[in-house]
Amino acid sequence: MPNPSPDFRYPLRWRLMDGVERLADTLWPRSMSRHTGWLFITPAILLVGLLVLGLIQIGDASLRVLDTATFLPSEDWSLTNYRKALASSTYLTVAWRSLSGAVLVTVLTLILAFPYAYALVRVRKAWIRKALLITLFLPFFIGQVVRAYGWLIILGNSGMVNEALSLVGVAPMRLLFNYGAVVFGLVQYMLPFAVLLLVPALTAIPEETETAAGSLGASWPRILWHVLLPMAKPGLIGAGLVVFTLTLTDFAVPAMLGGGSQDYIANAIYDQFFRTADQGLGSALALMLVAAGSVLVGLVFMVFGAGTLAMGGRK
Amino acid sequence: MISRSQKIVVWSLVWFSIITLSLPTLVVLGASLTAGNMVAFPPQGLSLQWYEKIALARDLQQAFLRSLIVATIATIVAIPVGTLAGLALSRFQLRFTTAIQVWLMLPFTIPLIGSGIGLMLVFGEWHVLGSLWPVGVACAVINLPFIIWSVSSSAVALDPDLELAAQNCGAGRVQTFLHVTLPAVMPGVITGSLLMFILAMNEFLVSLLLTDARIVTLPVLIYNSIRSIITPDLAAVSVVFIVIALAAIWLLDKLVGLEIFLKSK
Repeated sequence: MPNPSPDFRYPLRWRLMDGVERLADTLWPRSMSRHTGWLFITPAILLVGLLVLGLIQIGDASLRVLDTATFLPSEDWSLTNYRKALASSTYLTVAWRSLSGAVLVTVLTLILAFPYAYALVRVRKAWIRKALLITLFLPFFIGQVVRAYGWLIILGNSGMVNEALSLVGVAPMRLLFNYGAVVFGLVQYMLPFAVLLLVPALTAIPEETETAAGSLGASWPRILWHVLLPMAKPGLIGAGLVVFTLTLTDFAVPAMLGGGSQDYIANAIYDQFFRTADQGLGSALALMLVAAGSVLVGLVFMVFGAGTLAMGGRK
Repeated sequence: MISRSQKIVVWSLVWFSIITLSLPTLVVLGASLTAGNMVAFPPQGLSLQWYEKIALARDLQQAFLRSLIVATIATIVAIPVGTLAGLALSRFQLRFTTAIQVWLMLPFTIPLIGSGIGLMLVFGEWHVLGSLWPVGVACAVINLPFIIWSVSSSAVALDPDLELAAQNCGAGRVQTFLHVTLPAVMPGVITGSLLMFILAMNEFLVSLLLTDARIVTLPVLIYNSIRSIITPDLAAVSVVFIVIALAAIWLLDKLVGLEIFLKSK
């Protein structure tokens, strides 16, 4: 058997890789392999822990009352801020506006998102599918501020719509800074989220089930009602939940298209922090919003399951 | 699609969506090309003067650079953290999976205003506000579930026997990870990091809360400028975002295919 010459060496990459393997064996011995999953998940858990730290800070701040003489938060804890927030009719109005807006936006978004997702899944021509996807992703990737800016140009008092109307002799209308404008802007903002969350659920429905229902004599509204909607339920729940919570807590659209007259809860919280500089009251409001959102998500998950929102792919 | 009436109903709703989705983008594009000093309809001739103007504006350039830095930091933080977490959730037997899932969903269940203000207080306590990296880290946290989702959903497609086969052939754990596991989940990693980059680039509320006047990012700068008056230079800046979004979509399509989002789950 020919011996390898004394100056023979393995390629650098192999030796490097062996070194890395040895390093891995020292740092994380094979006996620890059972725990590799935990090693992998820990950074994410710690990173998300930042948010929990933040919530604790908010909780702390919410229990301190602003001393109007010194403009410093008090040393001792009390529930005064919560009492103040719950007793105020302003916040009740704001909360009601956000809630009713969120319900309306969720319903409208799902009505628009369902056919869009359905068309995406069922359309035969590849180029149409691609065009639909690009139309969906472009606004999703452009960001809220730019989109709201576009709406300002279109709907403003001297915006496109009003200028066009004046060409045919209609007096300019106030299209912006009202409830409708905010709802419309939010529906447009939420549509891509809703479609992307509905699509997996619709993909899972074989086209044959529709054909079968049709061949048994069901009209398409009946197929929609008795076959498609029930089978798409996980997607509808996931999409509805995401749209509802994102709308309820949105800041940019009410701020830009509402023009200060259509504040949602997030705007009220922001104002407490940066206009009134009452951190305590702002924190109390923020924490109540977090609690309301979490309770809602928790309830939906308990009643319906995580729908299409479950992570990890195991069912 | 079966009947004619269904076709009409579905496609008229889809067309309504298409118009609503695209109109702001198209209008911003059009407004940026106007020759006048105001955004007007019908447009007063074509010109590139506003692009010239923003190319010379120092505050805009710096805000754009800052947004790029924030997005890069967010992506660099999120790729390893999200990839490992996605693998852990799909490839390893963990206890307390439900609790972990709930914990990792927190960035989505806690409203952005809550996350933003909480992080503002935490970073304030640590005396790190005023630099850009906290903004990047914050963007990574709030969008982390996206990358975990995309990685774990592509990890499901990986046959566990492949990893065993690699080890059987003498590959160590690191080699198996680098040459078998990682390439298999690469589509998920790419999708997740592109989403992360673009969402961090566009992130508005958290940037608004974590930046001050010296380090505003581009979306915040646009927002602050909109308050006063609508001028075409903002439209030209917005076109920068449109171009970036188009580039991201093109990349996503080239690297993994947009159809990846149409998979059933």
